[in-house]
Amino acid sequence: MSLDSVNAATAQEAGPCPAVNATTNGDSLSSWEEPKGLYHQNASTKNSGVVRRARKVEGGIFFPKPENAVTIAVSSRVLFRTEKEDIVFREKGVEEYLNYQVEHEMEPFAPGPAFPFIKALEAVNTRLRDLYPDSEELFDIVLVTYNHAHVGVRLINTINYHNLFIERFCMTGGSSPIGYLKAFHTNLYLSADSEKVREALAEGIAAATMFTPDKLTEVSETQLRVAFDGDAVLFSDESERIYKAHGLDKFFEHEKEHENKLLDHGPLKGFLEALGKLQKKFYAKGHRLDCPIRTYLVTARSAASSGIRALKTLRAWGLETDEALFLAGAPKGPMLEKIRPHIYFDDQMFHVKGAAEMGTIAAHVPYGIAQKYPHKKDMGKAK
Amino acid sequence: MDAEIVVNTDIKQKDSRHALVIAIEHCAFFDQNGDWEPKSSNTASEVLSHGPAISFIKAIQRVNHKLMEKNPNETFLFDVILICNNQIPENQSKIVTSAKHYGLEISRFCFCNDASFTNSMLSNNVKLFLSTNRDDIVKTQERGLPAALLCKQVAQEAVDQLKFLFIGDSLGIPEDLKGEMFNVNQPHSLQITQASLKELVAVIGQMRSKFGQDDSPLRTCLVTLWSPRDVCVRALKTFRDWGMEVEEAYCLAGTPPSAILAQIQPHVLCGDGLYHMRDVAALS
Repeated sequence: MSLDSVNAATAQEAGPCPAVNATTNGDSLSSWEEPKGLYHQNASTKNSGVVRRARKVEGGIFFPKPENAVTIAVSSRVLFRTEKEDIVFREKGVEEYLNYQVEHEMEPFAPGPAFPFIKALEAVNTRLRDLYPDSEELFDIVLVTYNHAHVGVRLINTINYHNLFIERFCMTGGSSPIGYLKAFHTNLYLSADSEKVREALAEGIAAATMFTPDKLTEVSETQLRVAFDGDAVLFSDESERIYKAHGLDKFFEHEKEHENKLLDHGPLKGFLEALGKLQKKFYAKGHRLDCPIRTYLVTARSAASSGIRALKTLRAWGLETDEALFLAGAPKGPMLEKIRPHIYFDDQMFHVKGAAEMGTIAAHVPYGIAQKYPHKKDMGKAK
Repeated sequence: MDAEIVVNTDIKQKDSRHALVIAIEHCAFFDQNGDWEPKSSNTASEVLSHGPAISFIKAIQRVNHKLMEKNPNETFLFDVILICNNQIPENQSKIVTSAKHYGLEISRFCFCNDASFTNSMLSNNVKLFLSTNRDDIVKTQERGLPAALLCKQVAQEAVDQLKFLFIGDSLGIPEDLKGEMFNVNQPHSLQITQASLKELVAVIGQMRSKFGQDDSPLRTCLVTLWSPRDVCVRALKTFRDWGMEVEEAYCLAGTPPSAILAQIQPHVLCGDGLYHMRDVAALS
């Protein structure tokens, strides 16, 4: 981890970043024909039941048990772009909406903000399977949506069309999805609905609201990059509270006094931990330099002062991020634009919006004191 | 002993030509081990006091009520009968008394034995046999009759909607692969149970379509336990072809089902195929 306060992204990328398929807002793609076989091309010996991309185990299909895998639950509105349909729902009600969906069943949705992230998870899985063919420690992606099963056919058709490896889904038909998140041992829940995200956080599940960036930027297809804000995301919001209540000077004082006292954990600490465990599996097989998972801490804290407590805390937790960027109050947008994460978690909408404006895929973690007191727009203050 | 039918004079009989008749086995009215021996401490009227059947009947009553609200002359209603195999005569009257005491809308009580069971079901035009005893469900399915599990409600608060959950794994598998996937004896019984499942789905789908999206007292769900997503989608389409557009769908693809089934909280679990039953131990 680097302690420089301004850090350009290091050139650890594996080759050039190919463009993500960028389809324009809301346009439906033309319908396609049903795939020829039921199963993928590799299916097929006479004794096989169903064969999927991974491998077959005695008449079944190998799917990891949720408690062993890192389970990512994603909603349909962030995995795909459903703006047109959302409008139909809002303006014409649920019956019309469902009819519309069924009528357009053969038209796949375009990719949404979580799409590149999910694709990157799959790329990591491919590499993990190469190195550890029998392990269940993989990413497991579950589609958890509030939608009715009427929409199910269209959603699965879309998953097939984009060749996503999502075998598990819950379409709750309007019931709360939160109980299902728990049943799947969800490690991270991504949704477009901040209310549901709040509910999930209240139940101790890492969750964030995703927003579509204003412009599309290319992200790596081979290396998963996850960036985290520090306070109220990885760490608790205790320092944030001091800052809001008593101002910057008091914040510095407090941090200095408590330099050796660990910060409490925040809602996404567990997810960073899960990523770290998978990273170690790559390191163990000699892939430290070309590890397909890279994590970043992007914080307004200052390296020389308040940042120390953050680093000590991470170290004590046995966690680390590949890069730590201490911005000392400088805007996060440009830095994130250089990093090009597949997802960036922040507790403050101000930062999330700023990131999205510059094309970064940002997700809001509605946790802690910042939800009650929005960010003051004074940019020059170091923290 | 031939079957004996006792009519519940306390309630208005339904038109059995048009009603959707559901037969509930007597053990579903008792707690836990389905031990039908009434405790000596129970008075005659308290014999049927617990068991999953009670909340089920209440949910059924609510559906009927709403159907009648829309059309007071509606004949396409749920009609519940209680069916009892090998019941000794003294307990018969206790059961009838107790049902009346609790105001349960059970229109008839059918006391029969193994030999007369199938005939009783057919002559009463029963579309679905419900029980908490899995062996009885399997035996009934083997006779080609539609049977399903009546589930214990986990939460204490009343679950308003009547919820049917269908296990769809075998539905989504294409015909030519069915022979490979199941051993020799099963495909045949599978066909029988599928035919009766189709009829059941059609008739419940019909009833569901009488209500809109919001505020329906009846809800239908589909779950696939071990199949990949394409199978689940095919099952959804099959149901649609049979006349039911399910509202909730879950593709578990090998996830241990008990936590999820507990979350769905169905009243009735319809699974074709005997091999499913061990997965759903949590619900009975």
